[in-house]
Amino acid sequence: MTLAPQRHPGADADTARAEDAATVLAPADATRRQRVGAHPWVMALAIATAVAGAALGLNGVLRGWVWYAPVVTTVFTVSLTMAGLRALRWRTVFVGLGGLASLVLILTFTFFRPHSIIGFIPSGATMTQLGRYLRRASETVLAESAPVAPNAGIVLLVCAALGLLVMLIDALAFPLALPATSGLGILAILVVPAMVKPQSVGVLGFAGAAIGYLLILASSQWFAPDPRTRADTARNPGQLRRASLTGALALTVTLLLQLVIPGFDQGTFPQGSRLNPFGAATGLNPMISLGNSLRSPTGDGRITYATNSPSAPYLRSVTVDSFNGDSWSPDDREDTRRMGTGRMESGLESVATEIRVVTAVNTGQFTSPYLPVPYAPEAVNGLTGRWSWDPATLSIKGLDTNSRDQQYVVLSAAPQLTRDLLEQAPTPAQGVPELFLRPPANVPEIVLTTAESVTAGSETSYARAVAIQKYLRSPEFTYSLQSPVQGGYDGNGLSVLADFLTQKSGYCIHFASAMAVMARLEGIPSRIAVGYAPGRPTGGTVSIAGQGALPEFEVDARDAHAWPELYFQGVGWVAFEPTPSRGVVPSYSTENAPPSGASTNENNEGLLPPDDENPTPLPQGAPVPLPGGQAPADAGSQWLPLLYSAGALLLLGVLMASPQLARRSVRRRRLKAGGEGNGGSALPAFAELRDLATDYGVAPRSSETPRHFSKRLRASGAVGTADGSGAAAHAAVASLTDDFERHQYGRPGGGADNGAENAAAARIAAIRATLRAHARPLARVRAACLPPSVMGTWRRSMSAPVRALSQPANRTRRSVAGSWLRTRDLFRRARRS
Amino acid sequence: MDYHRTSIHEVLPEDHAFQDGSAVEGNGVARRPARLPAAMDAEQFHAASERILKAINTVIDGKAEAAKLALTVLLAQGHLLLEDVPGVGKTLLAKTLARSIDCSVSRIQFTPDLLPSDVTGVSIYNQASRSFEFRPGAVFANIVIGDEINRASAKTQSALLECMEEHQVTVDGKSYTLDEPFMVVATQNPIEMEGTYPLPEAQRDRFMARISMGYPDKDAEMEMLETHQATSPLTRVTAVVSAGGVAAMIATVQQVYVSQSIKEYTVSLGRATRESSMLRLGASPRSMLQLLRAAKATAALAGRDFVLPDDVVSVAEAVLAHRIILDRKAASTGETPQSVIRAVLARIPVTPDVGGAPVSGNGRSPLPARAAPSPVPPHRS
Repeated sequence: MTLAPQRHPGADADTARAEDAATVLAPADATRRQRVGAHPWVMALAIATAVAGAALGLNGVLRGWVWYAPVVTTVFTVSLTMAGLRALRWRTVFVGLGGLASLVLILTFTFFRPHSIIGFIPSGATMTQLGRYLRRASETVLAESAPVAPNAGIVLLVCAALGLLVMLIDALAFPLALPATSGLGILAILVVPAMVKPQSVGVLGFAGAAIGYLLILASSQWFAPDPRTRADTARNPGQLRRASLTGALALTVTLLLQLVIPGFDQGTFPQGSRLNPFGAATGLNPMISLGNSLRSPTGDGRITYATNSPSAPYLRSVTVDSFNGDSWSPDDREDTRRMGTGRMESGLESVATEIRVVTAVNTGQFTSPYLPVPYAPEAVNGLTGRWSWDPATLSIKGLDTNSRDQQYVVLSAAPQLTRDLLEQAPTPAQGVPELFLRPPANVPEIVLTTAESVTAGSETSYARAVAIQKYLRSPEFTYSLQSPVQGGYDGNGLSVLADFLTQKSGYCIHFASAMAVMARLEGIPSRIAVGYAPGRPTGGTVSIAGQGALPEFEVDARDAHAWPELYFQGVGWVAFEPTPSRGVVPSYSTENAPPSGASTNENNEGLLPPDDENPTPLPQGAPVPLPGGQAPADAGSQWLPLLYSAGALLLLGVLMASPQLARRSVRRRRLKAGGEGNGGSALPAFAELRDLATDYGVAPRSSETPRHFSKRLRASGAVGTADGSGAAAHAAVASLTDDFERHQYGRPGGGADNGAENAAAARIAAIRATLRAHARPLARVRAACLPPSVMGTWRRSMSAPVRALSQPANRTRRSVAGSWLRTRDLFRRARRS
Repeated sequence: MDYHRTSIHEVLPEDHAFQDGSAVEGNGVARRPARLPAAMDAEQFHAASERILKAINTVIDGKAEAAKLALTVLLAQGHLLLEDVPGVGKTLLAKTLARSIDCSVSRIQFTPDLLPSDVTGVSIYNQASRSFEFRPGAVFANIVIGDEINRASAKTQSALLECMEEHQVTVDGKSYTLDEPFMVVATQNPIEMEGTYPLPEAQRDRFMARISMGYPDKDAEMEMLETHQATSPLTRVTAVVSAGGVAAMIATVQQVYVSQSIKEYTVSLGRATRESSMLRLGASPRSMLQLLRAAKATAALAGRDFVLPDDVVSVAEAVLAHRIILDRKAASTGETPQSVIRAVLARIPVTPDVGGAPVSGNGRSPLPARAAPSPVPPHRS
């Protein structure tokens, strides 16, 4: 007789199979422990993708895409070098040093190849060249406005910064094991375009950064799962669900806030406004900062001036006269500028009679290298610092100073222009520098055709100019500060112009440049003047020696303006006003209307109340194309914020009260159902009991039997003690449980409820009172205002779609994991045999 | 290797008189109650069950739970497997239960050389009548105590297990039905494995429940030393319920109402064990049936005529734990069948929906579910 344990074949086979599986698994586990595996490589690729993706957003800060290739090379070299070192199991410090070395080498190779030893080892010559590049980069940063030309200096700077960011992100993701925090590094990249570009980061940069960031998170989850964030553990269930819920909530709040907060076209941060860390209106490129100034909610840079001119004059800072390149900017012509502002002249002949105008200007906080003066200045007195002027444009620029806190008196000659005078000007204008006549290269088709069709039939330069102005002031065009931002053409340049002529909505810079470019196409010399539209009277007067008391006017950033100046031979430079609703239409530029004298910003086209009635202007960004809406618009704009606030408060109130209301209605419905008869009363009453207990912190568990829950509730002390204050509640809980059990599990129609008809309501009330009495104050408030039972239900119903989605997702994940394991085993076996 | 063969019959004294006045009949081949008697009313049932439990508790101190479970299995018409270390009272419990009921009891001491015919009976040629005569084996009794069942050979074991399942014995092509109530109480010693034939998993499924007695607590042990020194406590046990009474109690249990939601709960428990990745073999459909029957008996013992989830929960571990087989990985991480059953119980919602109350706690399984439940153990190549 054998004593060996005899087992049935099934069990043996099972064991054998299990052992088989174990032997297959064991070496896999062992190798994973010994080798680093793919983790560093995948993570490095993820980091490089994130940084290179976020760098996509720099397009627009840097012009074109030439700079992107060195960026990609640098980023991938650094991150892959570090991954390689990590795979070789170098120590963390050396991995970092290795990354730094690789950054230096790749930058040397890319930028200093001729100035280094064998192409990539830095030498003394490299340092000299580096200094040169850095100087150029700093010049670019200080002098140019976005998008800047990608010169070697600035690209070197960008590459170095991105390389260092790769190392930072790598350090966060690997040795510090904070992959989520590595998003800060990516954010640092995105901040630059967000601050510099009018369109902010842009879809491309955002998408690139987001994809890279998700890859970083995913690879850290795949390869080094943190047990705290594992989705499938008993300790941390529903990770995906909670994450999605948080995201959904954040999204909802963002969308709701946008509705509640009144608009993003006004307020402290209107859309398209940019953060300017160096103070407002530095004026390096007035073309760029103009839109920003107009959108400025506060009206910084207030300038006051007093003049003996019959109407408030335009104040002109600078002109833009070259319409080539992606971005137009004033040409300083440093070599032809002349020093001293005591006597200025353009050297142009004019047959028009001129009126000498005296203007005293106080610039206050307005900071710009250019001096705002009425056209055409002949002498400026009282300035501090050294100033120079350009004979071609009569723009006055500080050499070592700026316009801040300047008080000066300008003597200017205002030509008295008439239509006849302009009509008599010879049509191909002579005697003006060629640069004002040079049409830009690569003019978009729409500009050409528009210019042609608008001026068709006009013979003289004057007629053409008037036709263009008339076209731009036609009702087809609307004034809007926001459309260019939303349409992505907030800026200047020929492409912007094409967009503007298509959309037919923009602000002064668009109208002015449209007219200037079209004028040049028609052979009229032109330039764009940038400065301030006529201001509002402050009501005060300023005494000037020899002139007496002159009325004072004021302008601020919101009056910033651009207008075209066209040259007519024998007359000189003549200002036009193509921008609807802004500035003053000069009498000579209208075909037949009587000269309108004191037309200003505010009362033009009846848009805004006259100066003397309402000195504080409304935000001029609001495009109101129809005239005559003066009073209602005013009243509406006063009531609107109130209305918004009331709506927001109401919404807030409803939001806050809704859990409470929902809870109450549920309770009423249940107790009502309880009153309907014997059969249905126990189930809703018990549901109400469960919810009550949930509200007061004794939530039933799904796997808990009713009886166990009832016992736990009574033992928890939430309803007091059975022999003390909570006797009634204890009895009520027990009887409700009993009723529920009998109805839920008992024979249908068997047994009567404890207590009388509708006693459920009374019992529930008793339990509720006892729960309230025994709860802590905070718990009482929570049960009243944010009942957990309702909040839990809402949470679950809100996450329902996510759960529905996560099931197929989980299935896919499992099947993918399964096939990966199978493939791996196949390879293993093939290698072994 | 000289295995001592004990007497296989240990029948109650013939002249024993019972409380309800009935008399003991012989070994039950002749006695065949045609059908189960009418059910008792709740009060009678309660009194009878109390009497049995009290009788058991006078003998075995501090094991009220085990006693109750044993009675539950009897009333649910199942069989009981007592598995524990030697000397904790397995056999005593079986004997006491048997004695407290007025019914025939036989005891089989399993040894490796025990033959199937010793269990089932054998046909012997009667010289006088010149015909084959069936001599019933030990299994022909109301309560059969199979001591150390794992010592018998697989052949003998399966002879007993067949009787357990079918409540009948087939010898020489002739079937003999066993008496009702019929209950096998088998004991098994889990530590002494030398020379044993442990019950295969499939056979364990035939037992409704497995109980581990466990050591008594200090007081109970002290009292046992005190009272059991001189005399065997078994002698003081008298039968408190007749066999007919037990049959009536069984009938009562059968009439206990099981609601739809309890059935759903039971089924979802079973499915959860089959889908659990910690188990190589989940609970069988037969075990679901037995779980429900045990729950019905529990409900009846608690004085109810309908089953509560609590009843299912209270017997689930005893009914299911010995049938399931742990996955190798789970076993190596220190899981036990009991802990897996507890985890399943802690996860499966009791009542699908009672009206919008929130489901708190652990909504997800601690055991990652498998893609599809499979009746056969998963095979990994």
